[in-house]
Amino acid sequence: MPELTSVANEFLRTEIEQFVERPDERERLIALYAGASERMQSMSAALVEGEHLLVDALAREALADGVPALEIMDDGLIAGMALVGIKFRENFIFVPEVLACARAMKAGMSYIEPILSESGIEPIATVVMGTVKGDLHDIGKNLCTMMLRGAGFEVIDLGVDTSPDDFIDAVEEHRPALLGMSALLTTTMPNMGVTIEAFIDAELRDEIGIMVGGAPVTQDFAEDMGADGYGKDAVACVELAKRLAEAEKHRVEA
Amino acid sequence: MTESATGPAMTSRERVLAALRREPVDCTPLVNPTSVATVELMDLVEAPFPDANREPELMARLAATGRTELGFDSIMPVFSIIQESSALGCKIQWEQKDNWPTVRMREPIYETPDDIRIPDNLLEHQDTRCVIEAIKILKRQFGDEVAIIGKTMGPWSLGYHCFGVEPFLLMSLDDPDRTKLCLDRLKESTIVFGQAQIDAGADALTLPDHATGDLVSGAYYREFLLDLHIEFAEALPVPLILHICGRTVDRMDDIARSGMAALHFDSKNGPQESMDIVGDRISLVGNVNNPETLFAKSPQDVREEVVANLDAGVQMIGPECAIPLQTPIESLRAIREAVIDWHAHDLGRPAPTSHA
Repeated sequence: MPELTSVANEFLRTEIEQFVERPDERERLIALYAGASERMQSMSAALVEGEHLLVDALAREALADGVPALEIMDDGLIAGMALVGIKFRENFIFVPEVLACARAMKAGMSYIEPILSESGIEPIATVVMGTVKGDLHDIGKNLCTMMLRGAGFEVIDLGVDTSPDDFIDAVEEHRPALLGMSALLTTTMPNMGVTIEAFIDAELRDEIGIMVGGAPVTQDFAEDMGADGYGKDAVACVELAKRLAEAEKHRVEA
Repeated sequence: MTESATGPAMTSRERVLAALRREPVDCTPLVNPTSVATVELMDLVEAPFPDANREPELMARLAATGRTELGFDSIMPVFSIIQESSALGCKIQWEQKDNWPTVRMREPIYETPDDIRIPDNLLEHQDTRCVIEAIKILKRQFGDEVAIIGKTMGPWSLGYHCFGVEPFLLMSLDDPDRTKLCLDRLKESTIVFGQAQIDAGADALTLPDHATGDLVSGAYYREFLLDLHIEFAEALPVPLILHICGRTVDRMDDIARSGMAALHFDSKNGPQESMDIVGDRISLVGNVNNPETLFAKSPQDVREEVVANLDAGVQMIGPECAIPLQTPIESLRAIREAVIDWHAHDLGRPAPTSHA
């Protein structure tokens, strides 16, 4: 098991010491950063600090020097977001800081995505994402979308104010493994249940894993609505999507 | 009239205003700083959305059902959070009866502080005038008996609407001084619209300013909003009820010294932990959960949440936020029943009067 001292980047070492309390997460992050080059550690550090211009420059330079796009994404960008997710979950940082980190990740991904899509790597699964009808908020949904794409999912983003019919049309068109719904308002949360009912009526409910999230949404609410899973934040969304995609794969193969 | 420890039974209006001042009351008042409109109530009085957000007579008629059908001690006619944003020029998605009008925040109207212009005719716009006229109607019909509560949006919430949530939050991080300048310029809308509602007869104002723990830190409240909220409390001569959704315990101590009369708090904050923080410095109003309890659970579950608030000493009882439009009426009526039962079952507590 690598020690904290095996992480060369001082900023990352301090961040882990200061903000990561759970031993399993400490261990995972230390292994993640210790296994990355110093250059990628610097990129992660810049991302955690929300320095989008620096991430942009580092990504460009790394690609020019022949660092593989996948390495930049995994060891530089996603590794940084893993720490951001923990800090957000534990209320050390809030949405403005996460948005700044997301902006930095987007800056890096703008160079990486075209390369990866040309390389023909198969996505883990396809996910249809949208904010429910009557709700025009999309920060959380956009963060989830970005993290899912970074984690290897293909995401069809339907945007905001998505009606049950729009969700159904997208599922029929793209045949995704998963559907993700977001709501920020207590007044629009019930539309998650309405949408799930519509999938039952359309006899599509058993064809797809449904995950829900959003500031006022809880695990209990998700279960009451008949969702397959609830993610508290973008990091949890990715973990949930991986789990549901695996289950969906087994269901299809069975 | 019922005699109680506080003397002759109070009117609803007196009860609410006393609770806002943290003075003794004859019965814990039911207060709705935000909307309790539902589709069922719209049908009952033929005042549906979206028209009830834009036509004073319909707005007043639907708002009155909070009193006549649900037994609240207050009437609050502003069902949405879009009225002054519409007057400022934001694009509004008006929706239908079963959905809320919403600001299209993906189409922001401002990019810089210099773009901010509070129009001279802010109060002449249909959507601000509607509120002012509705308050006048309600004041005429219920003014002696019931507390009429208006609503004026704080500059932080207006910032979300006018700049878009994401750009506004990023600006707060990239350039705090610029953000403060925006807030300082937007505050004119808060004061002008609030004062107009007071002139029309509002006894108190809800001031939503969504610096919620779901989005920003408690330090943000202190840095960006505390001074402005102190300014509002001094400038607007009625009790102000600050409304912030989500988790707020990490900023309640600051809110308690803002000069606001009350905080309308969310069910993510325990009643007792919240009371322990604010003490007797500010009243609390809330915090029955909307999406799970009022919308989907039984009236018995509603009663349990009401009792938890009463036991903690929360001064005014009501839903945590604007309720889902499909909330069953029996859930809402259970709030009042629970308050009456709570008072009736303890001889040490003052007896309630009936008005619903």
